[in-house]
Amino acid sequence: MRLLFYALFGLMGLVLQAAVLPHLVPLQFKPGLLLILVVYLGISEKAGFGAPLAYLFGLLFDVFAGAEPGRYGLLFLLLYFSVRGTIGFFNPENPLLLLFLVACGTLLESSLLIFLDGFFAAGTLWPIVLRALLPQLLVNVIAAGVLLLSVTWLQRRFPRLRVPGMQRLDERYES
Amino acid sequence: MFDLLKRYRRQILACGLILAALLLYSANLRRSGAASFFERAVLAVTAPILNGFDTVWRSATGTWDHYLWLIDTAAENDRLNEENRRLQSDLIAVQEVGLANERLRRLLDFKEELAVLTLPAQVIGEDATSWFRTVVIDKGSDDGVAEGMPVVVAEGVVGRTIRVAAGQSRVLLITDASSAVASLVQKNRTRGICRGEGASLTLDFALRLKEIEIGDLIVSSGTGGVFPKGLAIGHVEAVSRGDFGLFQTVTVTPTVDFSRLEEVLILLRLPLVDEAL
Repeated sequence: MRLLFYALFGLMGLVLQAAVLPHLVPLQFKPGLLLILVVYLGISEKAGFGAPLAYLFGLLFDVFAGAEPGRYGLLFLLLYFSVRGTIGFFNPENPLLLLFLVACGTLLESSLLIFLDGFFAAGTLWPIVLRALLPQLLVNVIAAGVLLLSVTWLQRRFPRLRVPGMQRLDERYES
Repeated sequence: MFDLLKRYRRQILACGLILAALLLYSANLRRSGAASFFERAVLAVTAPILNGFDTVWRSATGTWDHYLWLIDTAAENDRLNEENRRLQSDLIAVQEVGLANERLRRLLDFKEELAVLTLPAQVIGEDATSWFRTVVIDKGSDDGVAEGMPVVVAEGVVGRTIRVAAGQSRVLLITDASSAVASLVQKNRTRGICRGEGASLTLDFALRLKEIEIGDLIVSSGTGGVFPKGLAIGHVEAVSRGDFGLFQTVTVTPTVDFSRLEEVLILLRLPLVDEAL
């Protein structure tokens, strides 16, 4: 069930980013929906389940992003482990944590992109990444906020809806 | 030793997974440009969704354009009629030049250029990130498309195909940071390489002593082996010439509006480059 939820959300995010949002949102910056999903995986799922899934999302994302397969696979895996490694220092019950970690995730994504491009390719990507970094960070945080509000609203509206991760937080209060 | 491995097994597994991902990425960089089975499968699975959304979007915007904006049609019609008359007279002049060109070519015994086989395609998806510049088109290997084929529109060069599945392909736009096109300044034939900068292009390796002015047209030189000679790439937007050094920095605005890219043409066969030119 959890896998189905993540797979559906991942596929939806991919199609939204590649085909739907460029038509509907008149901005050149697309929200990183899969990045938000990987950060969410890092907050709520253990490495045995979350890490392979983050890598798979990265490989899927590579089919629609850039010209080098495997780049986002590696990048999302590093992002997942970074979130997983630091989550112990924060209060995971605070909903604002997702927004904060999405902002940090965007910065990490940009840094890794510049590093990988400089190390493995021509090293010409950094001006584009640096120019777009702040607007992209803002767009990602807004998208994470909208998603968070939507999920919270859906859970209130349909109490039987089980969103992985969110449910576990609620159960802590119930026991 | 075993206790140590047991204690740090998570960290060791994480490092192993990251290392494996890094090796796979590195191996992919060395591989030829052909799409892997995984990429072809994902493109094939997602294509109906992308095509479906594209069809819905086109019919919705078509309805809007055709039925709701009729109020502007009369004025638009008058303007187009006037433009048509002007273009007709231009066309006659161009035909005259064409005929003269043909006579001179025969006179100089130039080689005949191959007729370019083109395949029209529709853009059904864009790059999923804000950092890279690629698009997905609805034609693939079943239609005769292969990796490395040039993609153009009437205004100029769009890019080249980098991944080809059965019914879809991905095109790397010339504005992507990893894209480079062998180019010429049309006016004085100064050579250079046009590199993508996201929204604009930069003409690298243009000799500093060559006179390049704002507004000059940059065309493909045909020496890169991908794009045929003479396709429009962009207009010079800014020129920066230092006090020393071999080259000058030239910023180029693409002739193609990449934000409104809907239909493109894939050049299935390149014309012969005239060696005498």
